[in-house]
Amino acid sequence: MSTASTHAPLLDAEFLHKLEQLELVSRKIFVGRMKGERKSKRRGSSVEFADHRNYTSGDDLRHIDWNVYGRLDKLFLKLFLEEEDLHFYTLLDTSLSMDFGEPTKLQYGKQVAAALSFIGLVNHDRVMMDAFSTALDRGMPSVRGRSQMYRVVGYLDSLQASGQSDLTAAAKAFAIKHSGKGIVVVISDFLDKRGYQDALRYLLARNLDIYVVHVLSKEEVEPELTGDLKLVDAEDDDIAEITISAPLLKRYKDNLNAFVGGLKQWCTKRGITYIFTTNHNPFDKLILNYLRERGLVK
Amino acid sequence: MSRFGSSLSGLVPVTFANPLSAVQWAVLAGVPVGIIALYFLKLRRRPVQVASTLLWRRSLEDLHVNSLFQRLRKNLLLFLQLLAVLLAMFALSGPRIKGSSTQANRFILAIDESASMAATDVAPTRLEKAKSEAEKVIANMEKNDLMMIVAFSDRARVVSNYTSNQDLLRRRLSSIKPTQNTTSLREALQVIAGLANPSTDRTARDLPEGVIAVNSAMAPKLSVFTDGGFPDVEGLSIGNVEPEVVVIGPASAMPDAPKPGEPKAKKTPPSDNVAILALSASRDEEKPDQFQVFGRVRNYREESVKTEARLIRHDPKKPGSAGTLLDAIALSIGPQAEQSFKFDLNDNGLAELEVRLDVKDSLPLDNRAFTVFGTPRKAQVLLVTLRNRYLTDSLKTLSDLSDVTQMTPEEAKATDVKRDVGSGKYDLVIYDGVRPDAAPEANALYFGVLPPGKAFEKPKVVDGPVILDWDVAHPMMQYVRDLNTVLVQKAVTCELPSGSATLIESSGGPIAFVAPRMGFVDAVIGFALMDGAKFNTNWQLKSSFPLFLYNTLRALGNARESSGTEAHLPGMPVVLRADSSATEVEVIGPDGKSVETVKRSPQGTFLFNGARSTGLYRARWGKDESMSFAVNLFDGRESDLSPRGLVPEGLSESQADSYKIKIGFNAVKGTRRTAPAIKDYWWPLAVGMLGIILLEWYIYNRRVYV
Repeated sequence: MSTASTHAPLLDAEFLHKLEQLELVSRKIFVGRMKGERKSKRRGSSVEFADHRNYTSGDDLRHIDWNVYGRLDKLFLKLFLEEEDLHFYTLLDTSLSMDFGEPTKLQYGKQVAAALSFIGLVNHDRVMMDAFSTALDRGMPSVRGRSQMYRVVGYLDSLQASGQSDLTAAAKAFAIKHSGKGIVVVISDFLDKRGYQDALRYLLARNLDIYVVHVLSKEEVEPELTGDLKLVDAEDDDIAEITISAPLLKRYKDNLNAFVGGLKQWCTKRGITYIFTTNHNPFDKLILNYLRERGLVK
Repeated sequence: MSRFGSSLSGLVPVTFANPLSAVQWAVLAGVPVGIIALYFLKLRRRPVQVASTLLWRRSLEDLHVNSLFQRLRKNLLLFLQLLAVLLAMFALSGPRIKGSSTQANRFILAIDESASMAATDVAPTRLEKAKSEAEKVIANMEKNDLMMIVAFSDRARVVSNYTSNQDLLRRRLSSIKPTQNTTSLREALQVIAGLANPSTDRTARDLPEGVIAVNSAMAPKLSVFTDGGFPDVEGLSIGNVEPEVVVIGPASAMPDAPKPGEPKAKKTPPSDNVAILALSASRDEEKPDQFQVFGRVRNYREESVKTEARLIRHDPKKPGSAGTLLDAIALSIGPQAEQSFKFDLNDNGLAELEVRLDVKDSLPLDNRAFTVFGTPRKAQVLLVTLRNRYLTDSLKTLSDLSDVTQMTPEEAKATDVKRDVGSGKYDLVIYDGVRPDAAPEANALYFGVLPPGKAFEKPKVVDGPVILDWDVAHPMMQYVRDLNTVLVQKAVTCELPSGSATLIESSGGPIAFVAPRMGFVDAVIGFALMDGAKFNTNWQLKSSFPLFLYNTLRALGNARESSGTEAHLPGMPVVLRADSSATEVEVIGPDGKSVETVKRSPQGTFLFNGARSTGLYRARWGKDESMSFAVNLFDGRESDLSPRGLVPEGLSESQADSYKIKIGFNAVKGTRRTAPAIKDYWWPLAVGMLGIILLEWYIYNRRVYV
């Protein structure tokens, strides 16, 4: 069910327009609210002066404010605001199951990832991207600054749906690979027969601030199937023979609700922010939702 | 028919148009089996790729929990398919309720509207019952069936031609009113045989004898709704019409089966009727100033009946009045027996009499009888002769039968006489040895000459003919017995024109004959009575000569005996012979109100066609002249209300035959009610099948489940 939209350029005019709107929104928010928000405990080699303090033996001589010494003949150390980078990770599911829907869940996920990364870049966060299917891929090295947006887009454009999803393995690899704390946004359909619990536990163990964006296609939420069907699993070619009937559909929806509800409950219990969406939900609204969840928007 | 079909028809009267053999049924039965097999074999499923079967699998696992019931529910579509196929099979086998065709049927309903159908032993009347039975047949008509309705009594009339318009048929049917006529099924069958298969008429003529042309269409089904009060119709082919007789009558009137030893039981069960079957009046031979009214009453009941016959005199001046009671006689009539009665009356001139039975029965019509006495009408005779004493004297003895005007041939040539002759003043003109220039506007009797006209231009004179034979069956030759002793000297004869009947055959050919002429009759006696002063024959000395004149006056002179009135049956035309040269006659009906004007026919008579009911009718003309006539049923068959044609149970074929009504060459067993009309029931099944398929489609597409 691979569609043309999978390969459509991520940065079309409409998308960029929406990103700019998001930029404005986020700027407005950040100007007022970001001051001291993530002030570093460390004072270090930043350019932004913060304070002076008396020199004590053992201090790095490089930080002595020689101008003050010249005027006052006392040794003072210049203290700078340590700008602690916010590590913003996205973990995007690129398994074959994401290649469904119109637009595909993968495309949708890419848009979400791009938008969140853009906001991160605008706010000079350290943005890192990883994708996984059977295993975690190389990922995109961390970038910072708005100018690096093209790299984000380039990386996302290079991603293609392939293979089975193994969320657990990917999460494990991710946890090993990234030691820094920060925010991780997991974008997946979570249709993994091995379950999602272990994977999320790996991430939790890293003390990461976890956001789960659960993307399902419209077809999965409200299947428009009729007749006697042989359903073929896109990933493992598993076959389920069904005859569509009202009770079956009802049962399917019950199961879907239980699945979604179960995931949400599991996440909420563990302080994971859970955001459910379908591929028909405009991604900018989802972004605002994300920002609201982060408490940045009221 | 297959076993399946017969067992099914045991429950409901279902037959099959296409009865199938056991093998065919087995093959058909294989169809649903095949469908089930296909269901249990691998269902051909459409492969659809989905992101993950994870959730579907879980749903299926849930569904498998109560799998047997689930399977049944899942197979609703299968059941619907099986049902549809079964219906289709049933429809294909063409089930129907009674009957045998898939094409348009033709029905002919013959409704008996005769007098006996007015009997009230079937509520409200037999005719109404027959009509309601007929309506059922109409109601059962298929769309393209054709139906014709014929009402018959002593004649048949087409009430409705072939049509498929049920409303029209109902309207026409309800227009049938009871008549007081007698019954003749033959009339009806003749009409029906002609109309039933219009297309066969022409071809039938070209076919050799004994071959019946059969229309390619279905044989029309004839349903006769009658009480059977008519003689069997034998020797009449009704073509391919399938007759059916629906006997209308009380439920109890079933003829008895013959007892062992008896060849036949009484075929007519008793019926609730007492009827006057005859009534006439005549002058008392011994007391000329008195006359007698006598009649005959029959009791059709099983028990004897005591009743009273009342003689009522009606005033001719007051038509339709109640009349005055003159006399009454108590009658006690045994079961199914007859009794005569007689009244003696003083001759008070014209009398209109009614005899009424004081009894309540199912057919009141025949409880009254009418007669008219004392209305002698004399024949107006013009005798053109030179002089013939024998003829004049003989006519004189018949003076109470005729008014004779005698004149010579010279006198007869006078203009006013010619005008009288031409205007029909005379009933009979006798030309004794005188041949007129033109035939009179009356019947004529010629002695010794041939009538004027081309047909008689070549006379042949026969000398001394010997009389060989004479037609005693002819009304003019009634009781004439002694012609073998009559001698004839000279006679004239000719080649008889067509339509003539020989009265006296001689060695020289026919010497006396009657020939029709424009509605009149010319009677020719080829020998003159006198040859000058001498006898040409000795007939006038024989007793048969006045007898012959008497017959002639009665036959050609329109004379009636004073003592009797002609028997007029309801519905039959009545010939009125008014005395004067009036051009029209008014006839007043029995109710004294309805008046019908009758114009004189070319024959000089008045033909009255309005005598539809029994009773006393009065004809009036001129200033104050009138005559009365009575119309009576007097038909034992109509009065006998026991329905005919029903066959008692448990009779052998030959015994049953004697009960059946014979129509054409078939004996038809009567039924109580008409056979349910042919109804094909394949199409509701087919519609049902279509409905089920639609339901299945709906369920399939809307995923509706019970």
